[in-house]
Amino acid sequence: MNWREWQERQEVAELGNRFLSYVDWGSGPPVVLLHGIPTWSYLWSGIAQGLAVSNRVLAPDLLGYGFSDKRDRFDRSIARQAEAVEAWLDRLGVVDATVVGHDVGGGVALQLAVRFPQRVGRLCLMDSVCYDAWPKGLMAQLGTPGMARRLTPERLTRFLTPALKRKGFATPQTAELLEGLLAPYATEVGMVSLSRDAVALNTNHTLELASKLGHLAVPTLVLWGEKDGLLPAKFGERLAWDIPGARCVKVPQAGHFLMWDAPHAVAMELFDFLERAAPVNHVPRRSVAEELFGSEAPV
Amino acid sequence: MARVKQVSEHGAEGGVERVYHELRRTMRVTGVDVSLRTWAAYPRFFVAMWEAMEPNVETRAFEEAALGLWQEVLDSTVQWEVLGAWNAVTLGPSQRFHARGALELYETMQPRVLLMVSAVRMALEGQVVGQSGALGTLERLERGVPSRMAAMEWVAEKPADAALRSLFADIVKTVGPPGVPGEYRAMACWPSYLETAWRRLKPRMKDEDFQEEADRLLESARRRARALPYPVALSRERVAALGEDADAVLKVTQALERRSPALLLNLSRMVQDVPDMLRQPMPGASRLVPDWVAAEELR
Repeated sequence: MNWREWQERQEVAELGNRFLSYVDWGSGPPVVLLHGIPTWSYLWSGIAQGLAVSNRVLAPDLLGYGFSDKRDRFDRSIARQAEAVEAWLDRLGVVDATVVGHDVGGGVALQLAVRFPQRVGRLCLMDSVCYDAWPKGLMAQLGTPGMARRLTPERLTRFLTPALKRKGFATPQTAELLEGLLAPYATEVGMVSLSRDAVALNTNHTLELASKLGHLAVPTLVLWGEKDGLLPAKFGERLAWDIPGARCVKVPQAGHFLMWDAPHAVAMELFDFLERAAPVNHVPRRSVAEELFGSEAPV
Repeated sequence: MARVKQVSEHGAEGGVERVYHELRRTMRVTGVDVSLRTWAAYPRFFVAMWEAMEPNVETRAFEEAALGLWQEVLDSTVQWEVLGAWNAVTLGPSQRFHARGALELYETMQPRVLLMVSAVRMALEGQVVGQSGALGTLERLERGVPSRMAAMEWVAEKPADAALRSLFADIVKTVGPPGVPGEYRAMACWPSYLETAWRRLKPRMKDEDFQEEADRLLESARRRARALPYPVALSRERVAALGEDADAVLKVTQALERRSPALLLNLSRMVQDVPDMLRQPMPGASRLVPDWVAAEELR
């Protein structure tokens, strides 16, 4: 699927003065897929279709990313992103979901799990930002105002494409994929927005969670590309050690973008996790009779 | 006409950067359009132009004149055949949301730009523009961008895609210099839509009644510009004294004015093609002046 076909699938949800674009695919238990930087929900296009066979796949573009709101009018930190995702799930009527986060999306997923535990039935972290493992040099550099002023959309693409190829993937990828991942940032508005996203990367928002990870009571899978040169696998191990009951799986021959380097292995692990780990049931579910008749429901 | 290099928003510096900021705030738009970016290639003229126009642009009278002009455009085209491009292409919900937002932005902005261009052209040709009202005596509008207004996102004037490049070349050849109009660059974010719309817009532009309507609109814009409340203090001599090429500035301004009515007619056909689109989507609010400022001004 090319990026335009993916974009064609996107719907939009207005959240006050902001809006989120998202893909809502399939039916079944909801699985929320959160992307990182410098990508957008298209990151998941390789595995979304398979997941959608038995799940409702919900893949938003985070605020300021992809085809969501890119105007200069909001905080883009992972803490605020988690609030936006929570509001969006509320709008969709999703009570709790399996939340899968990659890179910055992993940080958002962790924020969600800690601050809005009722929303997260299961958690999967893939090469996630955590502790003080981030921001990485490339993105930190992009976030400096001076850098943003020197760039043009064309230069940004020329700067990021080889960097992604070299540092993000362990296996060769198509030009179509790389072009698609960066497509929303190939305009002046997109470029400035990405720079604002980069400047919002803040270690504090993951460090503040470190002491709370031990209290998480959600089934957690940590999936990590063994050859990730951006966020080394030791951070995945540390996360799995800190989160009670979490399991860490290192995916061989995979770099930071493991879902593209090893799509089959990643999908298998994810399916296995969805099948075996029972989600935490935070909200007592009401029967159909209770929905209809309230607590006076006939037996 | 020699090619004029437009000044991008993030590339603007000094006086141009300041004027861009004031333009966005006073015109209540999210970005600076092609016409204004083209003027900014002559920075000293651009700053002087803004000093001459700004007192008018921030008034309710200017807003009413622009709205009246747009109303005329809509009334002219409402009886024409429906464009049919909106429903002829496959766009997803998020894409339609963005495309509608872009059209709302341009229908808000372009009538104002035509008024400015007409006023400046007449002033440069030595005509008296504006009434002799005392500055600051009329109602002004609240500054700032409406919260709903879309970001001004568009593709590069020379896009990488060959088909789009050729489409842009055809557009400029048909509508005239100095560059690809902003609304077409914006709609090029959805190439299939732009291609379909242009294929239907172009043949109509050759019709006699289209040309008559464009001429009538041009006259109306000039009449409305002459009636602006405050005098527009700008002349060729002033531009030359500032060290700019007054002939080149006049040529660019004439070219911008010449093509604007036809562009407005096309824009209105695209707008009226979209279901439930508001005719005046972003009305200006009265300016809320703090008491102490009002007291100071009255004194």
